[in-house]
Amino acid sequence: MSLLDLSRWQFVITVMFHMTFPAITVGLSILLSILYGMYWRTRKAVYLQMFRFWRRIFAVGFAIGVVAGIVITFEMGLNWGGYAAKTGPIIGPIIGMEVVTAFFVEAGFIGVLLYGDGRVRHATMFASSVMVSIGTILSSTWIIAANSWMQTPAGFVVRDGRFEPTDWLDAIVNRSFVWRWPHMVLAVLISAAFFVAGIGAYYLVKARALPFARRSVSIALGVAAMLVPVQIFVGDHTAGAVLPYQLSKLEALEGNWTNGNTGFVLFAIPDQQAQRNLAELDIPCLGSAINKDLTCKTAVPGLDLTPKADRPDMAAVFWGFRVMFLAALLMFGTAFYATILRFRRKLWTSRRFHRFLLWTTPVGVLAILGGWATAETGRQPWVVFGQLRTADAVSHLAPGELVFSVVGFSLLYLVMLIAYVAYIIRTVRIGPEHVLGLAGGRAN
Amino acid sequence: MSTIWFLLILLCLLMYVVLDGYDLGIGIATLVEPDASHRHEMLEQVAQAWDGNETWLVLLGVSLWAGFPTAFGTILPHAYLPVIVMLFALIVRGVSVELASQAPPAPRWERAFGIASLIAALAQGVAASTLIGAIGWFSALVAVTVGCGYLALGYAYAQWKTTGELRARAAHRGRVSTVLASIAAVACLLAAPPNLHTPARLIAFAGLLLFAVAGVVMSMITSPYDGLPLAGLVTAVVALVIALVVARYPLLASPDLTIAKTAAPSGTLTFLAVGIGLNVPLILFYNWFAHHAFRGKAPANHLANGRTGATQ
Repeated sequence: MSLLDLSRWQFVITVMFHMTFPAITVGLSILLSILYGMYWRTRKAVYLQMFRFWRRIFAVGFAIGVVAGIVITFEMGLNWGGYAAKTGPIIGPIIGMEVVTAFFVEAGFIGVLLYGDGRVRHATMFASSVMVSIGTILSSTWIIAANSWMQTPAGFVVRDGRFEPTDWLDAIVNRSFVWRWPHMVLAVLISAAFFVAGIGAYYLVKARALPFARRSVSIALGVAAMLVPVQIFVGDHTAGAVLPYQLSKLEALEGNWTNGNTGFVLFAIPDQQAQRNLAELDIPCLGSAINKDLTCKTAVPGLDLTPKADRPDMAAVFWGFRVMFLAALLMFGTAFYATILRFRRKLWTSRRFHRFLLWTTPVGVLAILGGWATAETGRQPWVVFGQLRTADAVSHLAPGELVFSVVGFSLLYLVMLIAYVAYIIRTVRIGPEHVLGLAGGRAN
Repeated sequence: MSTIWFLLILLCLLMYVVLDGYDLGIGIATLVEPDASHRHEMLEQVAQAWDGNETWLVLLGVSLWAGFPTAFGTILPHAYLPVIVMLFALIVRGVSVELASQAPPAPRWERAFGIASLIAALAQGVAASTLIGAIGWFSALVAVTVGCGYLALGYAYAQWKTTGELRARAAHRGRVSTVLASIAAVACLLAAPPNLHTPARLIAFAGLLLFAVAGVVMSMITSPYDGLPLAGLVTAVVALVIALVVARYPLLASPDLTIAKTAAPSGTLTFLAVGIGLNVPLILFYNWFAHHAFRGKAPANHLANGRTGATQ
């Protein structure tokens, strides 16, 4: 394993770990705003109960997301010094805008959201919740702008090996941004919806706190039913908007080494060294059909159309995409079935469906991780597509330093993940029944 | 333009050192606080505010990256180990403070919070020492200075925000920490005296040091105003940091990373001045708001007051 590989693995570990938390907390922050608003207007205790319970899940996830995000900012300079120096004039200001319009907004109001209940006025509480939600959405916006610039760079010139801005509007609102942004926002809302539905279903299964559980599951599945179909449409356009500029990504995610297959590769074990699949399972003609040719004549582009030095690692792109795609189908099916149950008034009596919902708790998060794996590994071997190779972006570090940080992050993040899951399980077991206790009396 | 941007980076540095300084200091102080309920009260003080305080570190890093990309891409790999250790510590700290606050009692997380605060402070000291290219015992000296300085800030903040026994102990221990930090800071200055080759620079440096000394003296005065030690220490820290910057301007890092050499192109700096510069008053407001919402002395029975804990 080379030093480049070590830095890449560290980035994979740190960025995937980080993404897990916004995938839950962006949507939860919006849910919290809505719940507090409902409580403020109706004064119904159940909304305050929901607000306080989901806030407990949100608080720790948000904190982990914040600190794991700080890591990534510094990693850009630590491990990717070449990238930092060359793209700094464009990516630096975009992330800077994220810091001032999102991080500071979140940070300024999170204290009130988490600790202000009973100490500040309702209006201040509600406004703070909304501000935190706005911050999380703006954060997603800037980060997608920065990443999209790396996928479809625009509005720049290269001078002395450095990217310099010529047109900020082109650079920020670049070709892939316009579709990837709604794609990402829908994704985090949907993943939070399944997270909430799954945990809510636990109480349905256990027949505990039913008014709380039903309202939570109902909101979550309602959001999913509305957004998943939109997301499938947006996702399809995202692929359509990005892939013409990144044909190598398309070739890798389809799983064909050679041009000519008209089928859809359902399963494959790609061997990058030998440039072939060790095992493969195709659905005949489906590849052609997806390209709007039902006569089974249109071939899916193969990776041999891309020069060997510019080919991404197929296994990561192929499987990243399939995780996202299969998770999306599962979510669509679940949301669809839930809607049918709702219309037939069986949503609260179908115990089997409640147990099934438990299993779908992390499915949205997995879809997001799969999607990011597709986007990022599919861009390789470039860090700025077609402009700057990842190998030219890495810092020259001592092997010992890198091993220390890779091992350190792996262990630390494993412990943190276990701690968060243990915290969620503990919080869920304790349940929402008591959150109104003493503190409730103080809410003025 | 690059000088204006440099001043913004300096603002971030000062805001960070003062704000996260006090909350890292409170974290360190929990390690030597014998009373469990006081420890928890101190942790709650940090839980309300650490996120906003730490965001200045992010803005510091990103501002350096955007405005002086080559410096960012060179300084950080050089300071790799201390910065990585600092990041490890900040992760543990952020997670443990929330877990200890949301699901009390959690003595292990409280302990992790204290240890991580200490490690973060020391690692920042070591990282800062690499800016002048020195490592070894000098780094240790800087680390001790930063650790004691943060501890003093933490106690001063605790004295300002709490009452009773905790307040009295913070006042006493704050003085001791201030003395230790001052001795360590003087030792650092003697060990690596700044190169003040022009009279103007010498005068400015000496003047700022006088301010720093005045701040320290102010923090030691016994008075009925519990905010006075904090005000004194903030003055001292700000004056000292500016003095060090004056001594080294326009050098960002040794041996030859200067402002002019590493600055981003003008298209970038203009965007930064407008986009981020105009946001500075807003972010100062958010920071003020975060502290203002919980102004005054903390209520004594913290857990019963609007908290969501499993304490019920």
